[in-house]
Amino acid sequence: MTFLGFPRPGNLAGTRNYILIVPAGRLLNIAATRVSQYVHGTKCVITAGENGRHKKDRERLARIYVGLAKNPNVYATVVLGAKKGFGYQEVEPYNLAHEIAKAGKPVEVFTIEESGGLERLVEDAIDLTRRYVHQASLVRREPVSMDKLTIGVKCGLSDATSGIAGNPSFGKAADLLIAAGGSAIFSETVELIGAEQDIAARCANAADAKRLLEMVAEVELAAKRTGEDIRAINPLPSNIAAGLSTLEEKSLGAVRKAGTSPIVGVLEYATQPSRKGLHFMDGWQSSFSLPMSLAAAGCQISIYQLGGDDLPSNDPPMLATNTGVVAPLMMITGNPRTASKAKRSIDFSSGAIITGESTVEQMGEALYAKIISVASGELTKGETIRYSDPLEPYFLGPVF
Amino acid sequence: MFHALQLESVDNVATVVADIAKGSVITVQAGARAVTLSTLESIPFGHKIALQPIKRGEVVTKYGRPIGRALIDVAKGGLIGAHNIEGMRGRGDLAIQEGEAE
Repeated sequence: MTFLGFPRPGNLAGTRNYILIVPAGRLLNIAATRVSQYVHGTKCVITAGENGRHKKDRERLARIYVGLAKNPNVYATVVLGAKKGFGYQEVEPYNLAHEIAKAGKPVEVFTIEESGGLERLVEDAIDLTRRYVHQASLVRREPVSMDKLTIGVKCGLSDATSGIAGNPSFGKAADLLIAAGGSAIFSETVELIGAEQDIAARCANAADAKRLLEMVAEVELAAKRTGEDIRAINPLPSNIAAGLSTLEEKSLGAVRKAGTSPIVGVLEYATQPSRKGLHFMDGWQSSFSLPMSLAAAGCQISIYQLGGDDLPSNDPPMLATNTGVVAPLMMITGNPRTASKAKRSIDFSSGAIITGESTVEQMGEALYAKIISVASGELTKGETIRYSDPLEPYFLGPVF
Repeated sequence: MFHALQLESVDNVATVVADIAKGSVITVQAGARAVTLSTLESIPFGHKIALQPIKRGEVVTKYGRPIGRALIDVAKGGLIGAHNIEGMRGRGDLAIQEGEAE
């Protein structure tokens, strides 16, 4: 089994062929946005940034920037900065470019100081970015083995079908990819609460199991410190309206997306796996945060497994549009009612499980085929929209 | 044809996969086995039904794992939801009562 991917240095392959514009510090958001609007085939990563954040959180932001640039879906990266040495060193433009260059792909820095002003910087960056886009167009898709594919997953607006149909179908597809040598990453640390012992028991090594349980304990302690019943935060009102009554119930359904493969690695937030297979990554499940974070970890596609029973009844908006930045976000559901009302947005439905017309195994196989097609160039429905939701890195806080 | 799914044999609730009216006799699929059950109230799509009487304070089990505990007694065939069960994890409200929070 193969998919059609863009060959990249380091024996990697992209499912897309973008130029990434990175603002080294949030002052450069305006320039990065302008360049990306002007030049076809680009993506930019716009966040509220680094100011007032402690070192660990600035490092998290840097890992997002660098990880997205290293993602195999990116052909080349243009880093925009204020001036050499400016600002927090974690997001200093030359420091970012130095890390990005380790992927062996083209990367260039422009600064306002050297270009002679913000608008001159935009002109300079546009000039190079257009040449990069043209160079990228000369790279051709070719058949590559499935071990070069890493997929991410998040579940959203979960309902009772998520844990019974949608998540298990994804889990089956992930099992098939992993059996073919590929990798999958699941996350959402809060939604391990109540299911963490089962997941820890699947870790291939004891140190990973211990770290995973620590991650869950840390987030549960933070939840308790709010002084609220976590049920007032997560599950969301829409989860409860759709029949999920407690966080434990939501978690036990959520972890069905982890399939049955052994967990070969437990990753810190926005870090890349060092081996093939199933991984857990510490992360926040927000639709505006996790897809980007999974892409920074190297996922070339992310799957958004939607419950959605509580959504409006006709053509509802999706929970996230293009928040994978460089990685397509595929919308799937296990709820036939969601599939019917959101036809314009749903890429794949495993709704036939709930109606008794199909099985998790059959739907998992069909989903795996669909993932291979999207990896090979089929656009997701979200990708046909020229809009990206805001991006929220998962910061620990507090802010100062 | 089934109206509800019991996910594990130890579960004391099943998930209904259709909108079910009060007083219906429904088929609950439990693996290869199917049982029938009368509903005491209407159960919306995706919500849970008690497969046996569940006492106040008793653990509610789905996926073979605890998902919470009952706040009141629920009869067999009753609706199980956020109105009559509570979670047992991430309870910052209880942590304050127990003096755990800072």
